[in-house]
Amino acid sequence: MGKPKALVDRELCLACGGCISVCPQSAISMHGMRAFVTREKCISCAICIRTCPVGAITGEVY
Amino acid sequence: MKYDVVVVGGGPAGSVTARFAAEKGAKVLIVERRQEIGVPVLCGEGISRKIDDWGMLEGKRWIASTMEGARIYSPDKTCVTLSADVAGNETGYVVYRDIFDQELARRAVKAGAEIMLNTTATGLIKKDNEIKGVKVKQFNEEFEIQTDIVVGADGVESKVGEWAGINTCLKPTDLETCAQYTLTNVECSDAYCDFYLGKEIAPGGYIWVFPKGKDVANVGIGILASFSESGMAKKLLDKFIESDHRLKKGEPVRFLAGAVPVSLPVETVRDHLVLVGDAARHVDPITGGGLTHCLEGGKIAGEVIGEAVEKQDFTKEILMKYETGWKNAFGGKLKRNYAVKEIMLDMDDKTFNMLADSLKDYKFEELSTYSLIKALVLKHPTLLMKLKPLMKMSKEV
Repeated sequence: MGKPKALVDRELCLACGGCISVCPQSAISMHGMRAFVTREKCISCAICIRTCPVGAITGEVY
Repeated sequence: MKYDVVVVGGGPAGSVTARFAAEKGAKVLIVERRQEIGVPVLCGEGISRKIDDWGMLEGKRWIASTMEGARIYSPDKTCVTLSADVAGNETGYVVYRDIFDQELARRAVKAGAEIMLNTTATGLIKKDNEIKGVKVKQFNEEFEIQTDIVVGADGVESKVGEWAGINTCLKPTDLETCAQYTLTNVECSDAYCDFYLGKEIAPGGYIWVFPKGKDVANVGIGILASFSESGMAKKLLDKFIESDHRLKKGEPVRFLAGAVPVSLPVETVRDHLVLVGDAARHVDPITGGGLTHCLEGGKIAGEVIGEAVEKQDFTKEILMKYETGWKNAFGGKLKRNYAVKEIMLDMDDKTFNMLADSLKDYKFEELSTYSLIKALVLKHPTLLMKLKPLMKMSKEV
């Protein structure tokens, strides 16, 4: 089992862009006015999870 | 499709840059990924009244209310008042950012700029490592727009800088993560913006209450991302509202999340490329305010770009006039306030209470971070020794 990767809940995301600006791997971008994580680039650092002001990002094990 | 200038992002910095470039005769296009300029609003909506001197906005429709001063509350609720009586006039506005942004866009269009909505920039076109244009996606159609200059006005999450090789990634210690309600049925009887500090209230940031008409207010929070946990900004804001007698009867008509860079500015110029506004990190690291820099920096960027188009010279050397320009206008202030932010982050609640107590009857010369820092240095020369050299660094407000 790998480390948990960031996953954005599109229902909760309010497109503030905070997670995108702090991601050290540029793994997050805006798609259809919601943040989107490119799973292959995510290094499981959880910075985005902790940054999200509304708790829209969680760690999911795939 | 060929333009002299393509501006990525139709916020204030993008529109002002577009306007002043177009006024110099450049053929300018703004690409905006949203379906409406200025919407959704991502902002506390407070701005200094010094924008009046710049004449960039017509009419009054963008003004929600006029502010007479600010009150800063320390963790034990000691109040420091910065009022207009001392400065001699009103000090700022709370604005409707959607109307504000659309007014700036209107002025850009009046100057000749074009706008493409629902259009997301997806990358730069490069040939032999030279920027030749922007790749965009509009609904499901992807196409390329040729241009001599790309302006990155794409906000806190800027990708344009990154595509050009500029490191725009923010450390968690350099980002404020924010949430805000616009509440109705609240009691905000006077025209003061209130700020609440404290590790329990808003770690590494503050809560603000900006009155927006007689019973409406923007109530928001910014916390430093390095202190944040998932969903913490919203939770702390909810807790604060519940505990405040003026606010707890309020009902929300709008909720938003936001992110504010509080870092040092980045490199803003490359061959064929300029960064403005939040993308350039032109935000006061103490207050998180960026609108005045967007307007001031955008005007300089637009004028320099206009000259570059006249000369048909798009090299970094020519565009550097913009970087020199913004550094002269507000670069010193950003550097100074970043250093102050670092010092403030080391202070505990007790120190904040003590500092507030020493300033509670102080008469400030003006409402600015400069006058606040100056007062602190005067009152506490030894405690705030580290601040003293910063005062020499810049007197910009």
